[in-house]
Amino acid sequence: MNIMTIIGMALTTQGALFLLLGAIGIVRMPDMYTRMQAGTKATTLGAMSFILGIGFMEPAWLLKTILIVVFIALSNPISSHALARAAHRSGIFPLSRENIDLYKRDNQEDKS
Amino acid sequence: MMLLQWTLTPDLLYQAGTGILLFLLVVAAIFSLVQKDLLMAIVGTSLVSLILSVLFLLLHAPDVALTEAAIGVALTTVIFLIALRKTGRYEE
Amino acid sequence: MKKLLATFLLGFIGFYLYTAFAGVPFGESKMKVGKDYLETTVPKTGAVNTVTSIVVNYRGFDTLGEVTVLFLAATGLGAILFGMKGKPEDKHREPSSILTTGAKALFPIIVLLGAYIFIHGHLTPGGGFQGGTIIATGVLMLILGIKKFHANHALLSIMESLAGITFVVAGILGLAFGKTFLENILPLGTPGQVFSAGVIPIIYVAVGFKVGAELAGVLDTMMSTTRGEE
Repeated sequence: MNIMTIIGMALTTQGALFLLLGAIGIVRMPDMYTRMQAGTKATTLGAMSFILGIGFMEPAWLLKTILIVVFIALSNPISSHALARAAHRSGIFPLSRENIDLYKRDNQEDKS
Repeated sequence: MMLLQWTLTPDLLYQAGTGILLFLLVVAAIFSLVQKDLLMAIVGTSLVSLILSVLFLLLHAPDVALTEAAIGVALTTVIFLIALRKTGRYEE
Repeated sequence: MKKLLATFLLGFIGFYLYTAFAGVPFGESKMKVGKDYLETTVPKTGAVNTVTSIVVNYRGFDTLGEVTVLFLAATGLGAILFGMKGKPEDKHREPSSILTTGAKALFPIIVLLGAYIFIHGHLTPGGGFQGGTIIATGVLMLILGIKKFHANHALLSIMESLAGITFVVAGILGLAFGKTFLENILPLGTPGQVFSAGVIPIIYVAVGFKVGAELAGVLDTMMSTTRGEE
């Protein structure tokens, strides 16, 4: 067992842990935006470290896995941004006691 | 330890996974059939394609799985959505 | 009454389907034709992926027909939707700047994935149809992410025609060398390399370009008729 395999195992364990946290968060969070926070942020890190760990375990695949990691790092936040924006547009508002909605305040002028 | 080895053979896991996916496939198909909201029906058909593509991968047909994932999940859904935008969202 | 009849019919069909398929052994012993394909594919065609060798080599003429069907479908859709205009766009629905930048940055990676899939069609799962579809999905992302984006239809038709001509020329070359239509004329090479399997990679790259161009054209036509340019 060389050093690369150990790094790979640690990374895959970390990734599986974060994916599990994301899944728990989707079930436990109260409203849509916090659920999306769990379902996108945690799973982005989880999937990235899992795939990178696989790349460390099999060094022949390292280049491809790095490319996949770059793809996930670019695509997942953008898609979650689009999802949150679409949800806000269709009238789903965050569940909070103070009614803070900074997006609405910032986009007040071009909404008219 | 003995019990664990007996219960969790890879073959059994494979068969259990395939069975669960087949059950979910039928559930998703019925879900998309009975929906009055056509947007949810489209999401249901997309889900059917997704489960089917995983099933094809488990049954050692990666070519068909790739086709199903590219065409069934992505392209057909998008074409249905564009057509839905042109027509009405709810079924009478 | 109707539901009873439907249930009865379903049960009837289900019973006979079950009896028909219960006797088929799944995944155990191959049938004669399948066994023959599995054993002779690598020495005969040089392709490691048996599915690709069947689709492009043994059944190449059928694939030409499939590509023609796809072309006819795209042309028919263009003819139906020609000149249609949608309702004007809702102003709040235009893409944000994050989406525009992201779409521009992600498009090359998606095209790379599609091209990888159809170039390695004879080695790994996938091929021209799958790769072309993935490229079309990338074009769809550009259409959704960039305001007033239009695919260049002239370029798409040129690509499509060139790809179709490549397919037919590869077939006719077989005839010109005294063999049958679409028969391999190039050296087979070592199985497992990218430059191997004779004429299969050329045909699959052509199919990939053709499918990608056609589906991108279809998506662009549909989107531009629904989103309504003024």
